[in-house]
Amino acid sequence: MASAYYEFYRGSSIGMALTDSLDELITSGAITPQLAMKVLQQFDKSLADTMVKSVKNKTTLKGHLHTYRLCDDVWTFIVKNPTFKMEQNELVSAPKIKIVACKNGDAIEAGKK
Amino acid sequence: MSNFAALPSRQVTFSRPANIAQQPYQQIQQQQAANSGLALPYSNAYLPGPSGQNNLALPNPVPSAITPYQTQQQQQPLSSYPQSQMQVQSQPQSASSSQTVVASQPAPLAGPSTPGPSAVPSTPVPLTLEQQHITAVEGIVPTLQNIVATVNLDCRLDLKTIALHARNAEYNPKRFAAVIMRIRDPKTTALIFASGKMVVTGAKSEDDSRLASRKYARIVQKLGFDAKFSEFKIQNIVGSCDVKFPIRLEGLAYSHGQFSSYEPELFPGLIYRMIKPKVVLLIFVSGKIVLTGAKVREEIYTAFNTIYTVLCEFRKP
Repeated sequence: MASAYYEFYRGSSIGMALTDSLDELITSGAITPQLAMKVLQQFDKSLADTMVKSVKNKTTLKGHLHTYRLCDDVWTFIVKNPTFKMEQNELVSAPKIKIVACKNGDAIEAGKK
Repeated sequence: MSNFAALPSRQVTFSRPANIAQQPYQQIQQQQAANSGLALPYSNAYLPGPSGQNNLALPNPVPSAITPYQTQQQQQPLSSYPQSQMQVQSQPQSASSSQTVVASQPAPLAGPSTPGPSAVPSTPVPLTLEQQHITAVEGIVPTLQNIVATVNLDCRLDLKTIALHARNAEYNPKRFAAVIMRIRDPKTTALIFASGKMVVTGAKSEDDSRLASRKYARIVQKLGFDAKFSEFKIQNIVGSCDVKFPIRLEGLAYSHGQFSSYEPELFPGLIYRMIKPKVVLLIFVSGKIVLTGAKVREEIYTAFNTIYTVLCEFRKP
């Protein structure tokens, strides 16, 4: 079950917060590490499902594709000077971003770092 | 040193002896074929150096046991030789252009043998048509659009390692059993197979094709494989041009039935299979021509000159 989902959402701010909280609970003896692992696995699954089902926002981005890679069904793009155009015509730019796009069964997730 | 930053990589030559620079291209091709069987000196043109060129699809430096190769390279300001310049090599220049520079010192060494800024380069400046005994009919010369070459890196490759560490690589073994890699200069695509064989496409000239192939070989080498650069061979050259008058394809297909295949319901162009030189031409009503199947560029030129006289016969009134 655990292997079916990517763990990269654990690196997001919400994932970090969850990991910190679980660490605290383990240290205080409130839960066992095994239970914490179980929670994290559920977090991977839930977030992946939620991203597919509930997140409907869209954005377009323009920029210079510096590097791309496809290996193990994971696309990695490094885009320099991207400009994101959000739905409310809001513009966001950054000097450099990395896009990691994964395929997971019939669900497709994308994470941004 | 300051002029290095502005140098395009085309200025770097690859171990082509200067004394063959005056020979027609065909002979150079043969020479290259002969050379490719030997251990060629590796240029360091891919290493970060004073040339300021580091736009390769290279990952972070991977330690590898690459011995310093020797180079035979010569770098000069671009302004010193326009592309159309005839290549006239005098004796002292030939001597200086074949000098060997150690890989760790890519900059021209100051010395009596250093070519001055006005020296004629050994860089493969395209030979003029007169030198190749080719006459441009009505001022039309086919432009080369694509060159396909193969190289044997002569070592088994782990494609997953390559795909993971090299930049601009695609590897989807379910679809295609090769890593697809691209570089920006010269703008080309390589198919790298686990057997160590490689196909490089997209180059616009023979030199670009060779340079790109070497760059790919260097990338693979940098990833820790014992890649060599052997059996480089140009497999196909594609050219195109416009004769600037409409053509009666039916008439051409009728009188040259032996060579022509014209099925407008299947494809709007006439497919003309020339026997000598062995080149296939796609001829369109508009007067646009595509020539393919040549191994050397002369075949493109001769095929065009041959077809041009025929096309004039079938010019639409």
